[in-house]
Amino acid sequence: MTVSQEKQITILGIETSCDETSAAVLVDGVNLRSHIISSQIVTHQKYGGVVPEIASREHSLHIRPVVEQALAEASVGFKDLSAIAVTYGPGLVGSLLVGVSGAKAMAYAAGIPLLGINHLEGHIYANFLEHQDLEFPLLALLVSGGHTHLIVFKDHGRYEVLGYTRDDAAGEALDKVARALGLGYPGGPQIQKAAQDGNEQAFKFPRAMLEPGSLDFSFSGMKSAVLNALNSARMRGETLNVPDLAASFQQAVVDVLVHKALLALQQTGVKTLLLAGGVAANRLLRESLEYELSRQKVRLVYPSPVFCTDNGAMIAAAGYYHFLAGDAAPWTLNAVPGLNLKSL
Amino acid sequence: MKYLTIDTTTKVSAIALAEDGKVVAEGFLHTSKTHSERIIPMLDQLFAAAAWTLSQLELIGVVRGPGSFTGIRIGIATAQGLAQVLKLPLAGILSLDALAWAGWGRDEDIVPILDARKNEWYTARYRWTAESASAECLMAPQALSISECLEQLKELKQRICFIGDAAGKAKQEIEAALGDRAIVLPDYLSLPRGAYAAQEVWRRWQEIGAGEKVEPFYIRFSEAEVNWAKKERARKGENHE
Ligand SMILES: [Zn+2]
Repeated sequence: MTVSQEKQITILGIETSCDETSAAVLVDGVNLRSHIISSQIVTHQKYGGVVPEIASREHSLHIRPVVEQALAEASVGFKDLSAIAVTYGPGLVGSLLVGVSGAKAMAYAAGIPLLGINHLEGHIYANFLEHQDLEFPLLALLVSGGHTHLIVFKDHGRYEVLGYTRDDAAGEALDKVARALGLGYPGGPQIQKAAQDGNEQAFKFPRAMLEPGSLDFSFSGMKSAVLNALNSARMRGETLNVPDLAASFQQAVVDVLVHKALLALQQTGVKTLLLAGGVAANRLLRESLEYELSRQKVRLVYPSPVFCTDNGAMIAAAGYYHFLAGDAAPWTLNAVPGLNLKSL
Repeated sequence: MKYLTIDTTTKVSAIALAEDGKVVAEGFLHTSKTHSERIIPMLDQLFAAAAWTLSQLELIGVVRGPGSFTGIRIGIATAQGLAQVLKLPLAGILSLDALAWAGWGRDEDIVPILDARKNEWYTARYRWTAESASAECLMAPQALSISECLEQLKELKQRICFIGDAAGKAKQEIEAALGDRAIVLPDYLSLPRGAYAAQEVWRRWQEIGAGEKVEPFYIRFSEAEVNWAKKERARKGENHE
């Protein structure tokens, strides 16, 4: 693929890996012309979490109108597109397959390249939507319901995973604790809300740092400590203060994330930290990192909240760089629910 | 009128290019690969072999269930994606209606059976009559336990012809229940085929005359919905006492 300087590069990004059906039209990597998100949160709420089969059914009903609306709001047709980018993993296999099948058929019929995007890479590329001046190398802290990763980027498409969670993802631990506290789903925002009126020092939860120098994470011990505290209180017939529990747990999660991010910056000497993923919207995490990093003259970059949760714009942003690299997917592209991060 | 049909509701990927009800090219893959990997390459090869172009298409037909939930969605997403770009009308048909065409003109009642897991079949019953241009549906599509289905068919006096991806596997069980009143067609006749869908899509198109919105036809609710409804009923039951 050769790219002329004059012609605009217009990418349609499609995301269906979990419980949001989303599509966006992005021109030249920075000009977001439309961004549609159809969220299923309300549908899944009564089940206390995302139900894979129901999520797939919802995507199947929404993908066509969501894509139509994204094109209409951007005032473009399929003939104006340079390529279609779609998430092919990681995520829920049934949900991924709706997006992959639809995107593939659209790209094939339009005679344009299909770009297969790793969802995690998409989260990190959300940062490029609003920051055009990012210079490599970059360190990314990706924190979401399914993932907790520290990744160093040497260039577009060239990255190395430095550490990841050995058990629960940070967002997953927040979800589980929120459910145990009766705060509902999704857990992260609910914990943050409850924590506002709580004392973060009321409970001492363990912060698992693992062996010295390790950039891996572990959140299950911390989560179990909350559940144990709840259980033993119940046995004694006592009730615990929910805002205090939420605030103390949130503080413990944030302490570990900040500690590991600082360690990774120290080990790599990188001067820019990108925050990505749903938990990147957490205020305490942002503020704590902001405070620590300013003392070390490290720049902190994070996406607006709308680009932190799952969305099509971030997939289009990652797709733009894949397009420039000539990295088109074959028509045999399949959904890969357990897809890992690996360099181009 | 040139059209394409897509059927991914079982383990078979079946597609056809057809014109005015006549099949021009047919693709059938029953391999270990997934629909997602097979369907567009297959389509591409079929168009090349038939020397057709996408721009010649005027209609896309898709089998919208019942069958594998994931398969249903892959078929619909593919058909919709193509139709959206090419600005073509869609027609949606049922897998069991399409399979009825495999028993065209036979005297027996036609009973398509598709593997619905958990010892159940997606099934329906049809009858061809001399003057009919399509099979008459005597029992609407439903999910039935295998034993219940065979019990019901035992009550009937007619001979029954079984078709579908569950037929081969259940041959002994069917013959044990129905004896020589049962005919079980072999796989090469009774698995979903592009040709069958092409017939049913053409019939459907004569009926609707314009494109339609195509949504999945699952028959079953998801397990989570069923369990939730059960719990709700239990909760309400307790409240009454
Ligand atoms: Zn995500």
